[in-house]
Amino acid sequence: MNDLVFAGLDGVLILSAYAIVMLLIGYFSGRGDKTLHDSLSNYYLAGKNLGIVALFFTLYATQYSGNTIIGYAPTAYRTGFSWLQSISFMTIIIGVYLLFAPRMYVVSKKMNFITPADWISHRFKSKAVTILAVVLMLWGLGNYLLEQLVAIGHAASSLTGGTIPYQVAVIAFVLVMLIYEWLGGMKAVAFTDVMQGLVLMVGIVIFLVGAVYLVGGDFSSATQYIAANEPAKLGVPDMLTSVNWFSMLLLVGLGAAIYPHAVQRIFAADSERTLKRSFSRMAWMPPITTGLVFVIGILGIALIPNLDTAGSEQLVGLMANEIAGINGFFYWVMIIFFGAIVAAIVSTADSVLLSFSSIVSNDIYGRFINPKAPEKKKVMVGKVTGVLAVGLLLWIAWNPPATLYEIFVLKFELLVQVFPAFVLGLYWKRMAAQPVFWGMLAGAIIAGVLTWTGYKTVFGIHGGVIGLAANFFIAVVGSYLVPLTVEKEAELKKIDLA
Amino acid sequence: MEKKQIKEPIRKKWIWIALLLIVIGNVPWYLPVGSYEPLIFGVPYWALIILAFSLILCGFLSWVTLKEWDIVEDEEEAEKRGRVNE
Repeated sequence: MNDLVFAGLDGVLILSAYAIVMLLIGYFSGRGDKTLHDSLSNYYLAGKNLGIVALFFTLYATQYSGNTIIGYAPTAYRTGFSWLQSISFMTIIIGVYLLFAPRMYVVSKKMNFITPADWISHRFKSKAVTILAVVLMLWGLGNYLLEQLVAIGHAASSLTGGTIPYQVAVIAFVLVMLIYEWLGGMKAVAFTDVMQGLVLMVGIVIFLVGAVYLVGGDFSSATQYIAANEPAKLGVPDMLTSVNWFSMLLLVGLGAAIYPHAVQRIFAADSERTLKRSFSRMAWMPPITTGLVFVIGILGIALIPNLDTAGSEQLVGLMANEIAGINGFFYWVMIIFFGAIVAAIVSTADSVLLSFSSIVSNDIYGRFINPKAPEKKKVMVGKVTGVLAVGLLLWIAWNPPATLYEIFVLKFELLVQVFPAFVLGLYWKRMAAQPVFWGMLAGAIIAGVLTWTGYKTVFGIHGGVIGLAANFFIAVVGSYLVPLTVEKEAELKKIDLA
Repeated sequence: MEKKQIKEPIRKKWIWIALLLIVIGNVPWYLPVGSYEPLIFGVPYWALIILAFSLILCGFLSWVTLKEWDIVEDEEEAEKRGRVNE
């Protein structure tokens, strides 16, 4: 996204304003709370006390990143109306939450869980299962974070037209993020999410208004153009695309719902009522978020036709350019909008980083290295490791390895393999540790190898979903072969609700 | 004391059957490949069908979340009120 007409000093101003607001929120959310840094629960889960506004917005801003706009509009541009699937695969996540969140919330309060691995460890009492789950989660989170860091740089440097070079932009915003997260933990993350989520919502709507204005206020003129020039993008997709659509629902639905940072938001809710109401509102967000981004991409086909794949990746910048050219009002709105994209990326990255740190604090350091350490020390270890991890990821982002690059693409594919242990284990007492371990490992290997060897999908079905099927099969059949002991059954009574 | 009735979505089969049906309707596998006419306000007919299913999905999940999930809410809210009155 180069040569934006609104690039330059104005962009720097707006970005600085966003940065200052984030720092202020972080500072005030951590101030006055002396116990914040002394307790894992206080630092990583805001004392399990998030109210409806903070919980809803932190769910929203974490789930929808700036990438949702920059990446999904070009996908709609390239694939056409079949990208309507982006509405349903974001909605289905709530359906998957309903499978496990109600009980998980109650159990997590009773057992005072900090991370998803607390549950895995409590349920299976197996080091092997816990370690494998932790590795898969850290891998998924690490790659997710890497993707967000790369995106921050692209968005910020294009907004300022290169006035702030890519690497400086990344470092500046990563520093801002690290500082407010260090100061306020989950509280800072959630409160900044309120601001970041709001600007993202407003930004998308205004961007759409500008795009509609550019096509003369007439959506049908855009589709008529598509019908005349690229009818395939308008028509019912072929069977392979439909199969892929189903697969996408499974992969995103199951994967996104058990993202560690998503699960930790269940733990952080102050009450069941708050959690319910937040999810209930979240169910309506896809149409007004990915749905509107989809429309933007479709309008883009008529506004800026004939972009190749690489060119289409610049779609949002190119459209913003034209919209900014309408008049002074839209000019400033577009700057604010691009700032909102950067803010939205930061809001996703901060949650992922916090979750990453909490797993290091609680599951690696606290569980295996130094279980007797005071919580204050565990929190500190997580924070420092988080900073180091960001440093390492930045280094990878700027020196991408030539051959192993595909490894860094894997996130949902690996993460989703924790699903059987995490959710089925909640209800099915027969489920045993060993088969769960082998299932998880087999699923991860299948997903990894398929993606790595270029078979990201087979007959439209994602490698991660094929791995998951094998995973489920091994875990279920294996569990029937392992006898259930009386003691184990008695122990598992604790997770019953009634 | 009578045991409190709890509501947990996983226990209600009809929720998941309904969800499955909505999802099946939400993917256009059952429509003729390549067709897009009639266009209604510029939108292909099939996209409206899919969009309708998407909105039904949103509404259904939002409604189920509020109405079919009640495990500890009453106790928690009672406890909260108790704390306020102290």
